[in-house]
Amino acid sequence: MSAKIQQLGEIDRVIHEPARLMIVALLAAVAEADFQYLRQATGLTQGNLSAHLSKLEEVGYVAIEKTFRGKYPLTICRLTERGAEVLNHYRKVIKAAL
Amino acid sequence: MTNISQNIANQNPDVIASRLIQKAHNRDGLPEIFIGLAFLILGGLCWVQAVAPPRSAAFVAAVLGFIVLALLLGLGSPWAIKTVRRKFLVETVGFVEMKPVPRRRSIVVAAVALVIAVAALIAAWIGNGSTPPTAWVLAGTGIGGGALLILAGRSPRSVVGGVSMAATGIVLAFSGISLEPGFAILYGVIGLLLFVSGTVVFLTLITKPAESGE
Repeated sequence: MSAKIQQLGEIDRVIHEPARLMIVALLAAVAEADFQYLRQATGLTQGNLSAHLSKLEEVGYVAIEKTFRGKYPLTICRLTERGAEVLNHYRKVIKAAL
Repeated sequence: MTNISQNIANQNPDVIASRLIQKAHNRDGLPEIFIGLAFLILGGLCWVQAVAPPRSAAFVAAVLGFIVLALLLGLGSPWAIKTVRRKFLVETVGFVEMKPVPRRRSIVVAAVALVIAVAALIAAWIGNGSTPPTAWVLAGTGIGGGALLILAGRSPRSVVGGVSMAATGIVLAFSGISLEPGFAILYGVIGLLLFVSGTVVFLTLITKPAESGE
């Protein structure tokens, strides 16, 4: 089996999950986005998105900040440097293998 | 979960993200409202050019207004849309801060626009000021503009808008109408369509109860 195909076995399983990959890809394309924007853009349910964001925060790929805009609470999400590195590596591995 | 999330592992995640962002950008109808207004005003200016005597004050004002509006639309509408969303719609559409456009990309886009403008001037000079037949210009504008609308919107209503613009351009081409009135009608029709569809989407969105964030 080619070494490039074998590398597929080593890809990050946290980021490989389709919903989390979508979240990370979106956050990579913007500077920051709040929970409501991510929910509408991805089409995920509130609970589903919350669970995936918690997982991504737990492993350090996403930073979450709770703030306010006037009286309206905002949950701002940003991709961390670690998250950007992991996504970049993921892209390279998938591209090489496919 | 959307179909996109199911297919994301099979496609470039950057392309998927770009499509999701584009869909989100068009979700509240604001871009359509601004573009529709701009087309309506452009259509009005074209009509003034059609009826006013050449080189009259009204004619010159319409030409200058056309140029100024094009610049304002290009430079001002993204800021206007962002401001309206941040001030009034953050509970409904959420908050996003886009990454700044890389300076190199801005320079490349400006350089390409300059090359096209210079090429068009040279072509006009070589052609001794002769222009393609009016029908071709109207049909080409309708079809080209329609294609851009479909690509920019990537939604069913943008397809309707794009097809309408193409069809209007083709109908006007066969009608034998002259250039300025033809453009006035083309811009007026598409401007009205975009403005109305954008307004309907916007009103539907703001009257829907906003779901609370996390």
